[in-house]
Amino acid sequence: MSENFIKIKHVHFKYKGSEKGLLDDLSLTIPKGETLLLTGASGSGKTTIIRLINGLIPHYYQGDLEGSISVAGYDIVKTELYELAGVVGTVFQNPRSQFFSVDTDGEIVFGPENIGMETGKIKERKQDIVSEMHIEKLMGRSLFELSGGEKQSIACASVAALLPEIILLDEPSSNLDQGAIGNLREVIKRWKAQGKTIIISEHRLWYLKDLVDRVIYMETGKIRHEWSGWEFAAMDSEKVRSLQMRPLKVSDILASDFAGSDIQTQEISDGVVLKDFYFSYNRKPYLIRKKKFQQNDEGLSLCIPKLTLPKNTVIGVIGHNGTGKSTFLKCVCGLEKDCHGIIETDGKEYKGKERLKICYMVMQDVNHQLFTDSVQGEVLLSMEEEDKERCDQILQSLGILEFKEKHPMALSGGQKQRVAIASAIAADAKLMLFDEPTSGLDFCHMEKVGGLLKSLADAGNTVLVATHDPELIELCCDYVLCIENGRVGYLRVVERS
Amino acid sequence: MSAKLDPRTKLYMILVVSAVVMMSATTPLLWGVRIAMTMIPLILLVAEKRYASALRFTILYAIALVLTFRFLSEESTGIVESLLIGYCGIAVQFLPALITAWYVVRTTKIDEFMSAMQRMHVPDGIAISLAVVMRFFPTIKEEYASITDAMKMRGIAFGGGRPSKMVEYRMIPLLFSCVNIGDELSAAAITRGLGGKVKRTSVEELHLRVFDWLLILAFTAAAGIFVVFKYIL
Repeated sequence: MSENFIKIKHVHFKYKGSEKGLLDDLSLTIPKGETLLLTGASGSGKTTIIRLINGLIPHYYQGDLEGSISVAGYDIVKTELYELAGVVGTVFQNPRSQFFSVDTDGEIVFGPENIGMETGKIKERKQDIVSEMHIEKLMGRSLFELSGGEKQSIACASVAALLPEIILLDEPSSNLDQGAIGNLREVIKRWKAQGKTIIISEHRLWYLKDLVDRVIYMETGKIRHEWSGWEFAAMDSEKVRSLQMRPLKVSDILASDFAGSDIQTQEISDGVVLKDFYFSYNRKPYLIRKKKFQQNDEGLSLCIPKLTLPKNTVIGVIGHNGTGKSTFLKCVCGLEKDCHGIIETDGKEYKGKERLKICYMVMQDVNHQLFTDSVQGEVLLSMEEEDKERCDQILQSLGILEFKEKHPMALSGGQKQRVAIASAIAADAKLMLFDEPTSGLDFCHMEKVGGLLKSLADAGNTVLVATHDPELIELCCDYVLCIENGRVGYLRVVERS
Repeated sequence: MSAKLDPRTKLYMILVVSAVVMMSATTPLLWGVRIAMTMIPLILLVAEKRYASALRFTILYAIALVLTFRFLSEESTGIVESLLIGYCGIAVQFLPALITAWYVVRTTKIDEFMSAMQRMHVPDGIAISLAVVMRFFPTIKEEYASITDAMKMRGIAFGGGRPSKMVEYRMIPLLFSCVNIGDELSAAAITRGLGGKVKRTSVEELHLRVFDWLLILAFTAAAGIFVVFKYIL
């Protein structure tokens, strides 16, 4: 048992083209069968360790590497990547970019085919994995129509199909909701029971705390702390907070019933009123005239006859993956043409395309909404009339004035998000919508986003934020709006202890 | 009986149709052959239950054909007519290839495709690159849709008053995200053993069935007719 399975000795690493070293004299040994959690702020070197073990460093991501790494008897530097395929398996963060096939069956057999396994054996293997992971109902489908959680299940299955002894997971829960994280937890538990060596890099800690044998806290390329599993599980929240980690315990805020008091929407006298928001993805084919969606239509993906949102507050939008949160956001800001809802605020009605003018959505992938070649240009593009002074003010208030001349794509993820927010402010959007702004962020960045959302609300905006992070709701939301099957489940006040 | 074709037949179809669309049809016989060739992928699309795209293509092709034969001739004058001639000419000429390619991309699994390439002894490098291209079509579509949404939100769907920017605003984010996805995709594929020295196997068993041979025969005949009637007779 105490046999050292993975040995990393005095490793220094620096990515090609970057000035700062990412790993600084790092040594780490991992015995066979251990479940190890790597945590720490973004950029502390967690992902780099994962890449060292699966050989992507130095074979795919190049840089200056010193020191030695041996995994299951293979010297990583001298081993070709395909030789490691049956030894180390990796589940990546982003489910949409780790698929090679377009269908679920093809994806699971992809690995075994690559290593030249016999076809009869592959089929058997596939059957075993499918029944072991209970994903029978996902078979024979296109990967592009699966939800985030389902995609991650397929990713786990396709990694497991190679029967690797070592399984690496790089922030696997980033795009998952509570239910899907529960499934992921079960998968990890099963792997652990099978005696696999598991290494997880993760910010979300609550679902792992009683699964892991050892926890390593990274800081600027070094191991700063090390705890055994039980020490970690028993850690008090003060200490967790002081280390800038995400909480180990989260209240059941996202479970189906969030314990707060219902607010009667009639009570809100001055609010943003949403009326007649109906939408469906499976519209009946039409020949001549488009029929408007009605409240009584069957199979509506969104059905909100009337909803009053309290003004100048942060409202968390929760609900399971695929329950209509994103649809809700898209319909509110007028991106779904066929949804004819009306927004009423300050005694004015906004219909159709007018909605786009008072709403602004910051997307989950902000790369999609940055178009120009400088941060300043990005903000000016949103203004009706270019006003450089106001642009500077906005950038100043978000703390990104120093990047004014930089190309938005050269910034970090958090900075890009701020640029998108800056253009939202410049566009005078009163209703700001955020789609999962904190997925994959460490606690420090999450706190910053929370503060930012609050200050946006204080400045007179109404902020709707769709999220899977209970931590974020505790940080900044005044209300929680639960969407269930496209309908409003409840709107409740967040009561803080 | 399922109408599932061998990917090799599909590739052959693309090859023949692409060759034929480069030769203009001049006699009624050639037109007949060409229209018949267009019908085949349309029927196959219906057999694969892709009714919507089959219907759309049929209508598009039918309109172009009717316009060309019924209302337009070489003596047509006027702006509307000349624009129509341009559009219909392109549609009638190249739609067959587009329909066939659409059918192939939409109904071929990556795995089948890889396996077919291997059977034809295409080098791995080429086969993998082509497979990645096929894998990328739906991704590009998804990314493009979100970018269009983002542009609508900014009111710059039409370039914000500057038409030249319309393309730039669309292409820059699209290229960035495709490069990123491509990079992550290759990393993920490599860790699962793609590109190794061992010979890849495939669970997709490929057999050329009667139906495949019939189609190959039909398409070869069509190509033959075109070549004979245009260049020899």
